[in-house]
Amino acid sequence: MTWKFELVYGPNGRALGGLAWDGKSMLVSDAMDLKILSFTEGAKEPAVFRKWTNRVNGIAFGPGGVLYGCQEGSRRVIEMKPDGSSVVTTTVLDGAQYNHPYNATIDKKGRVWFSDRLHAVLASGPQVFPYLPHQSVLRMTLMGRPHTEWHVERLTYDTKSPRGVAVSPDEKTLYVAETDTVPGGVQELRAYPILADGTLGPCTVLHSFGADYRGVHRGIDGICVGKDGHIFACAGWSRSGPGATVYVFNPDGRIAESHAIPEGTPLNCAFGGADLSTLYVTTREGHVYRTKTGYTGHLLYKAA
Amino acid sequence: MLDVDMTAKGFEKIVTPESRLDVIAHDLMFGEGPVWNKRTGEFYWVDIIGDTIWKWKPGGARSVVVRPSYRADGLTFDLEGRLVVAGWSWRRVWRLEHDNTITTLCSEFEGQKLNSPNDIVVKSDGSIWFTDPSGGLNNVEMHGDDVQRYMDYHGVFRISPDGKTTTLVVKDLTYPNGLAFTHDEKQLYINDTRENNIRVWDVNADGTLSNKRMFCELKGPEAGVADGMKVDVDGNVYCTGPAGIHVHDKNGKMLGRILVPGHTTNLGFGDEDWKSLFITTYSSVFRVRLGVAGLPVW
Repeated sequence: MTWKFELVYGPNGRALGGLAWDGKSMLVSDAMDLKILSFTEGAKEPAVFRKWTNRVNGIAFGPGGVLYGCQEGSRRVIEMKPDGSSVVTTTVLDGAQYNHPYNATIDKKGRVWFSDRLHAVLASGPQVFPYLPHQSVLRMTLMGRPHTEWHVERLTYDTKSPRGVAVSPDEKTLYVAETDTVPGGVQELRAYPILADGTLGPCTVLHSFGADYRGVHRGIDGICVGKDGHIFACAGWSRSGPGATVYVFNPDGRIAESHAIPEGTPLNCAFGGADLSTLYVTTREGHVYRTKTGYTGHLLYKAA
Repeated sequence: MLDVDMTAKGFEKIVTPESRLDVIAHDLMFGEGPVWNKRTGEFYWVDIIGDTIWKWKPGGARSVVVRPSYRADGLTFDLEGRLVVAGWSWRRVWRLEHDNTITTLCSEFEGQKLNSPNDIVVKSDGSIWFTDPSGGLNNVEMHGDDVQRYMDYHGVFRISPDGKTTTLVVKDLTYPNGLAFTHDEKQLYINDTRENNIRVWDVNADGTLSNKRMFCELKGPEAGVADGMKVDVDGNVYCTGPAGIHVHDKNGKMLGRILVPGHTTNLGFGDEDWKSLFITTYSSVFRVRLGVAGLPVW
């Protein structure tokens, strides 16, 4: 079907990133303004869902309606509680501080999968903690009896710049947007089999982006999955390649559909709306678009 | 001889040919809160990330005062010689009683949790003044239980001598950090880390402040920001800044800089004659003997 992108908000001049459908509204991180905005259908203006987030970017609801946030400005993953308080979950992998957690998704077991990247903007406070020697997808699992301790694992050993992460509805595959926009950088949509022991097998590449004299064709940043297994991906820009696009991939990597967005550089996307068929798309320039899609999103958790 | 630069006439009275850096500690994660206990002849400081309040007696070994310290930051003593703590990520001002129990003095204002109390000073009437920026909520590996900021401002507060009332005395600074009274307590200096400057106010008898004005800017291309600040008996103002410690006279004229290895966080006068300057950096505590005494701490 034809997608008709409706401009819901912006552009406000700042990259708008993480999205999470809370059951009634779409939450959107305005990381550099230290806020999470809330978009409700019919409302003229977004409401402020959370202030002073210190650059929370990727957000995702988990079991019990807990909202997890990748707090780039503090190099950690936090839990934003319904009472308004925020608690730190984890900050380190094997004793060494994270880079800047970027995007997160939560699986049926409540495990938090997130990409951990370098960021041009430094985190708060004294720069006394070195970065990890790698940029990887990590996973937090609540362990122990009672379930109060987070166990953190490194999952990818072949990523240099992981961005969007999503787990397939059957939870057999982890999709990673590996996008390194430097010349010669790898720009791939990857599918890693999730093995029985929880680790990942070698990935297959579902799609790859090239380059020409105008520069690299910008690869994928944010991704999400539909309930039938499709992967929805934000990629492209105006300076090279086919332009700013939201792709719909079949699980085997075949492009099912692609849609140009009206303006801006697409950054992230998520399904919302009463029937979960509305795709919200954010841009680097600070737009929020939405469109009916003919697909249904894969939603495990929402606000309590 | 101590490394100094940008010196003007008068600085030779402060830093003498005998002044040199002694290393008191060199194994910290984030040193802060230097304060001298005149009753016991001991020097106190904190390691914020190391989560400890330390003390050291000259000639002796150092020992733990409180651990975990709940990310304690600025320290001072009240009129009864009790340690009063700007609790940073614990989001409160607290007091260590003589029996080693802890009393919370202030944790919220107008129904909102404090941000993260950073530095603290006690006036001769017993009132407690502290700055409350939000860094303790955001800084990497300094977090406490709740990292959500609720206040839309970074305030400076005063707790009344009876401990019953907290008032907001300054609301419009970007990032208030160090604060220090003049010797007659008629003026209060407050610095701003983000703006790298020091402002001064007149202190009114009712505990309010007025006549806000710029005192000086802390200049230099080197790393270093306005953080800890103290005043000596001649009225000179010592403040951390680019390259180390900047000393200005009471009119705001630059007298010179004490160059400190590492990133300076705070300073405090001590020893019996108050002529030792204790300096904290991320990793270390230094002591340097000066020619001028600092204002004593209760």
